[in-house]
Amino acid sequence: MSIRNKLFLLLLMGMLIISLIFTFLSQIEPVNRAYITNQGENTVSVVDLNTLSVDQRIAVGSSPLGVAIVPSKNLAVIGNVDSKNLSIINLDKNKVVSTIPLDTAPLGIVANASGDKVFITSWFKNQVLALSTHDFSVLHSFSVGITPSGIAFNEKYNAIVVANRDADTVEIYDADNYKLRKKVKVGSHPYGISTNSSFILVANVYDDTISIINMENWVQKVIKVGFYPYNAIVHEEKAYVTNAQGDNISIIDLKTFQEIKKINTGETPENISIDKINNRLIVTNWGSDSVTIIDLQTQEPIAQIKTGLQSRAFGQFIYTK
Amino acid sequence: MKKLILFVSCLIFSLSVLAHGPTPQKVQESITVNVSPEKAWELVKDFGAISTWLSAAKETKIEKRGEDTYRIITLESGDKLDEKLRSTDEDLKKIRWEITKGNVPFTDFNAYMIVSKGSNDNESVIQWTARFYRVYKLNPPIPEGQDDATAKAAVQGFVDSGLAGLKKVLESK
Repeated sequence: MSIRNKLFLLLLMGMLIISLIFTFLSQIEPVNRAYITNQGENTVSVVDLNTLSVDQRIAVGSSPLGVAIVPSKNLAVIGNVDSKNLSIINLDKNKVVSTIPLDTAPLGIVANASGDKVFITSWFKNQVLALSTHDFSVLHSFSVGITPSGIAFNEKYNAIVVANRDADTVEIYDADNYKLRKKVKVGSHPYGISTNSSFILVANVYDDTISIINMENWVQKVIKVGFYPYNAIVHEEKAYVTNAQGDNISIIDLKTFQEIKKINTGETPENISIDKINNRLIVTNWGSDSVTIIDLQTQEPIAQIKTGLQSRAFGQFIYTK
Repeated sequence: MKKLILFVSCLIFSLSVLAHGPTPQKVQESITVNVSPEKAWELVKDFGAISTWLSAAKETKIEKRGEDTYRIITLESGDKLDEKLRSTDEDLKKIRWEITKGNVPFTDFNAYMIVSKGSNDNESVIQWTARFYRVYKLNPPIPEGQDDATAKAAVQGFVDSGLAGLKKVLESK
C-alpha cells in the first residue's frame, strides 16, 4: 500500500470516528422544543428547551392561537384565528409546508393518540371539526355547546373533551363515532381544558376556580385557585394552573385537592406544557411576550425567555424526539 | 330617548360581559419619568388618585364592597366606570385592576402598571399594559364602532394621555 493510500485510509477512518461521535452526541441530546404561537405578530417561536434559546421564528397566518404537535406525522398544526386557516409546520425543517383554509375561526386543536386525526373547536359555528392529518380534509363536523374553546383527547376512553365557554359546560364525545357521551355543568366561563387517565381538568375563568371531573363516576371537585385561571394540566399527581390575572401558577395536590403553592410567572400567563426531559414547566406569558421556565424539582422559576408579541400557544406545544 | 340609549348601551355591555370575540387586543406603552421609582410607585399604586393624572377621569371615589376595593370614575362625558382593584405587589411595584361596569367601546378590560428603575436612581419607567376585546362578539360582518380598531383606539387614547399625565404630575411635585 502506498503512503498516499495509507493516508487516505487514515483520513477515512478519522471521518468515520467523528461522524460516530456526532451521531452519539445527537442521541444523548434529544430534540426538545416548544412551538409558541405569538398572536400579536403572526409568528411561531421555536424554543430549544435544552439550551433555553429561541432557534427561529416561523411566519404563519393571522392571529395564531392554537397548537397541536403530531409526532407520528412530524407536524405541528397551528390555528390562525383571524385568517381562518391552519399553518402546517414540518418539525424536521421547521417550515410551513401547507396552509389549510377553514371557513371558521379555529380555537383549540388536539390530535388523537395515533396522530391520524386532529380535532378543532370552531368558535363561531359552535362545532368541532375532525380532520385527517394525511391531507387535512374535514372528515366530520358536529355541533357542540356555545363558543367551544379548549379541547383535549382522552386516550383511556378514546374521547374528545370540549369546554363550551359560554354554556358553562364540558362535553365528552366518542372520538370515532362522535356521539355525545356526557355533558357536565362546570363553573363560569370554562376555557382551557386537559385530560389525563380518568381526570378532566377545566379552568373556570370567571369563578377563579378549576373543576376536576372524574370520568369513572362523574364526581366533580371544585378548587379555588388564583385570579382568572386560564388553563390547567396534570402531571404526576399534581395539577398546574395558569392564573392569567394573578401573574402566577397554582400547584394543586391531587391527593388532597388543595392548592399547595403559587409560583410567579411573567405577566398574563395563559398556557402551560411539561418539558418531561428536563422536568420543567413551560408557561406562555401573553403580557410580557415570553415564556417562563419553572423547575419542577425545586418549584422555582429558573428563566424567562422573550418569544414574540402576545405569546399564547393554546394546546400541548412541546415536541420531543 | 336618552334613557333608551342608556338602556341599549347597558344591554350591549351586559351582553358583552357574557362573551367576547376570540382575539384579545393589547395596548402596551411605557414612559420615562424623572423621579425615583419609589416616588413614582407611590402615585401609581394610589388607586383613588387616577383623577389627578388622567384628564378623562373627572372625578373618582373609592368604594369598598366586602373585601374588594373599587374606584367609581365619572368620565368627562358623564358616564361612570366601575373598576376593581385586583392586586398591588410592593416588591414588583405592580398594580392590577379591571373594569367591571361601564359604557365604553371595548369589553373585558383588565390592565396592569409596573414601575421599574430607569438609567439612574432618580429615573423610573412606568409601563401600562391593557388587555381587552372589541364590543361585537359574533361572526363578521362587524358593525361600525364595535370592531377591534375602535376598541384599540379608545384604549390607546386612555393609555397615552394617562402616561403623559403621570409624567407631568410626578415631575412637577
